[in-house]
Amino acid sequence: MMTTRRNFLKVSALAGGGLAMAVSLPGTSAMLANDDISSFDLGAFLNIDTKGNITFLLTKHEMGQGSGTGLPMIIADELGADWSKITLKRSDYDPKFDSRLMGTTGGSGTVAKMWEPLREAGAAVREMLKSAAAARWNVSPDTLTTDNSFVVSPNGEKLEFGELAEEAARLNIPKEVKLKDISEFKYIGKPVKNLITNDVVMGKGNYGINVDIEGMVYAAIQRCPVYKGKLVSFDDTEARKVNGVIDVVPVPHLDLDLEGQYVAEGVAVIATSTWSAFKARKQLKIEWDYGKNGSRDIETYKKEMSESKMQHAYSKGDFDKQSVEEGFELVEAEYDNPYEAHALMEPINATAHFNGDSCEVWVGTQSGERVAQAVMKATGLPQEKITVHVLNSGGSFGRRYYPDSSIEASYLSKVLSKPVKLTWSREDEIMHDYFHPYQRSRHKAIISPEGKVTGWYAGLIRAEDYMEGLTRWEIPYFFDTIKTESSVIEGMVHVGAWRSVGPHSSSLGKECFMDELALRLNKDPLDFRLEMLQGEITQEGNDDFAKVVVSYRKVLQERYIAVLNTIKEKGLWTAPKKGEGRGIAIENFSRTVCAHIVDVSIDNSYNGFKVNKVTSVVHCGTVVNPHFGRGQIEGGVIWALSAAMYGGIEVKNGVVQRDNFHDNLLLRIDETPEIDVHFVESTEPPSGLGEPGTPPLAPALLNALYNATGKRIRKIPVRREDLLNATA
Amino acid sequence: MANYTLTVNGKDHHVEVDRDTPLLWVIRDTMKMYGTKYGCGIAQCGACTVHVDGTPIRSCCVPIEKLQGKNIITIEGLSQDGSHPVQMAWKEIDVPQCGYCQTGQIMTAAALLERIPSPTDEEINRAMKGNLCRCGTYPRIKKAIHEAAKLKQS
Ligand code: FES
Ligand code: FES
Repeated sequence: MMTTRRNFLKVSALAGGGLAMAVSLPGTSAMLANDDISSFDLGAFLNIDTKGNITFLLTKHEMGQGSGTGLPMIIADELGADWSKITLKRSDYDPKFDSRLMGTTGGSGTVAKMWEPLREAGAAVREMLKSAAAARWNVSPDTLTTDNSFVVSPNGEKLEFGELAEEAARLNIPKEVKLKDISEFKYIGKPVKNLITNDVVMGKGNYGINVDIEGMVYAAIQRCPVYKGKLVSFDDTEARKVNGVIDVVPVPHLDLDLEGQYVAEGVAVIATSTWSAFKARKQLKIEWDYGKNGSRDIETYKKEMSESKMQHAYSKGDFDKQSVEEGFELVEAEYDNPYEAHALMEPINATAHFNGDSCEVWVGTQSGERVAQAVMKATGLPQEKITVHVLNSGGSFGRRYYPDSSIEASYLSKVLSKPVKLTWSREDEIMHDYFHPYQRSRHKAIISPEGKVTGWYAGLIRAEDYMEGLTRWEIPYFFDTIKTESSVIEGMVHVGAWRSVGPHSSSLGKECFMDELALRLNKDPLDFRLEMLQGEITQEGNDDFAKVVVSYRKVLQERYIAVLNTIKEKGLWTAPKKGEGRGIAIENFSRTVCAHIVDVSIDNSYNGFKVNKVTSVVHCGTVVNPHFGRGQIEGGVIWALSAAMYGGIEVKNGVVQRDNFHDNLLLRIDETPEIDVHFVESTEPPSGLGEPGTPPLAPALLNALYNATGKRIRKIPVRREDLLNATA
Repeated sequence: MANYTLTVNGKDHHVEVDRDTPLLWVIRDTMKMYGTKYGCGIAQCGACTVHVDGTPIRSCCVPIEKLQGKNIITIEGLSQDGSHPVQMAWKEIDVPQCGYCQTGQIMTAAALLERIPSPTDEEINRAMKGNLCRCGTYPRIKKAIHEAAKLKQS
């Protein structure tokens, strides 16, 4: 039995007949406190009409992670619905979603966070449908089941959901419902096909860049090439001569006071087509004031990092004291993980229509909430006058969490009093990205006279303080003393969330250093990790948060051990093939734990190596859709391998030195290794898969390269000269 | 500006654009057909792939003036109803993640199978390496092309 959080649910009659259920999910702070829901008129979340058609309202963003299929699968299973009767309706942003789990998509949390509420909602409606049928048949609802959108009696009588919907809508929401046993699932755990596929293969994908509004004009912006540089003046004489150009307008400094937000100053060309706007912007003559970033580059940045002053973050025991004790040895190493671009296949875009007293925006976004806030500021309109239509994205990976293109488009629409479609060129998308921040990880360890690692130090120097990588729960291994420190050095480009955010940065140093320590102690890297994972987790502090941390750490400990043991049981960690090197690394992203084993061979290519195979073992609780799950891990591997082979944004005099796919190389089909994904069997709730495949890949690769060559590379990307120059 | 007649998916379209306008932008902004995607504009990603007289080309880099009298097929014209073997295979293997690159992938794959009805992995790599997929659906694309080859033969 499970008590329904009745205050999360509301059932009413559907206009025109049928049943409508509204759901309100708690806010993000619900991890610590029970969120009090006072009003939740979120409109229909789940409708069942009298014909039995079921409509599921998707409030989450679809950007390739499959949430538009995974979420309805969960509710369909609890209901006992016929999958073919389900249609998806995409919701516009609604202010009622603010600070709820419904309005923003990110952190690989969609399925994890919606799992329980959706199951409860589905189960509640199922029980109401059963009660409606029970009343008709005059039997107890407990004797009834649901299957394929029918309520079924023990003697085989059947009533379709649609026939019962109206009667069910008049009943009370049950206080207690029993969630289905995993063995009763028909869809969860099966490779149900993605609901977007049919449209996609016909060329009907519903992306922001395809928006077409009556009377719209096309915009392209030439932005200041240096971060935070200023527009001084411009000459648009030549630009205006290009056919189709309607206007040229400056984009001034827009002070938005929104956390993490930046809009570059620039000059916008408005034209009758994207091509005219692209062509004309090249004819602009612009004078910029580059400011202090105009003299910075990666080399000076590295120097600033070396000289940075560290701030204390966390300590357990006295690391410094232990490090100088007689007979104890201190070892250290430093790893660099550079700036990375998103390079999303669909370039950034937004379409806005400012109407004088209201504004509509069409955009693929991870956060309608942030778009609405930003457009409010850019247009000066109150929130209720702003409509955000959320389109699908051609990839997002954190980038479309930021509403910068909506700010630009709504600003231009206001200036021009016309609907404006703004398309960033590929060059814009790479040069003016919200880059994954540069991070240098400085690690130290103390080795006792008995050959045990007793102390661990992490000093993280980076361009953005994500507050990640420094806390006790981010160090799964046990040491007598721990010390972490950090330092933030303002970057020379704007930064933002990039698939897996902090863990990608911190895993590189942590998991390479673990490998170095294992080999130094003549231990097998997998066994060494298992050994260092043994320990008792104790509560540090007395507040609620400390309790949450303990339970979180326990889940992680169990999952790390389960993943490594699964690798052993399946015989996946054996000596490499002749002529190959093999490396392993393991990391968690939120509650999901993922290990990769990478097989490499050395060659004379640009990179000096080839990845032949990646074997992944993942513990994410229940795998809702194994086809999507596998796809996310494959995607995470390919994503991280692109960074490890070709990533790292060069910056010279403040200007990003890459601007398209010829220099910002990404992995292609012929470079993609065989990827073999295993899931640890589990009936625990699902814990997200969009990002966990990324962080352990780069350290596993560097560990494999060491295994192959005896040379330790402590940075990505890796090129042939790095392998040639590295010392043993 | 000049007038051009383009044959797209078997129909003639009259458009008035600059002579250097790439086919991609004519298809998208003038003809309002949005299945063909913009990805890079410099023939590096394949998102804009269409067939010109049966050959896959990057429409972002071909100016309209060179396309007079040619037979252009876009994703919208590959089949009326998604029944082209490559589309069927794409659905069967359920290839797309975000889907943005997939129309370009499908157009390149369809042209490959016209040339080589039953390609090896090596031949698939060679034909498909001009098409980027940031979501990393490459393993599935490869599988789907083998599947499409089977469907085509049966
Ligand atoms: S848009 Fe044409 S190849 Fe990229
Ligand atoms: S499916 Fe997203 S880019 Fe290929």
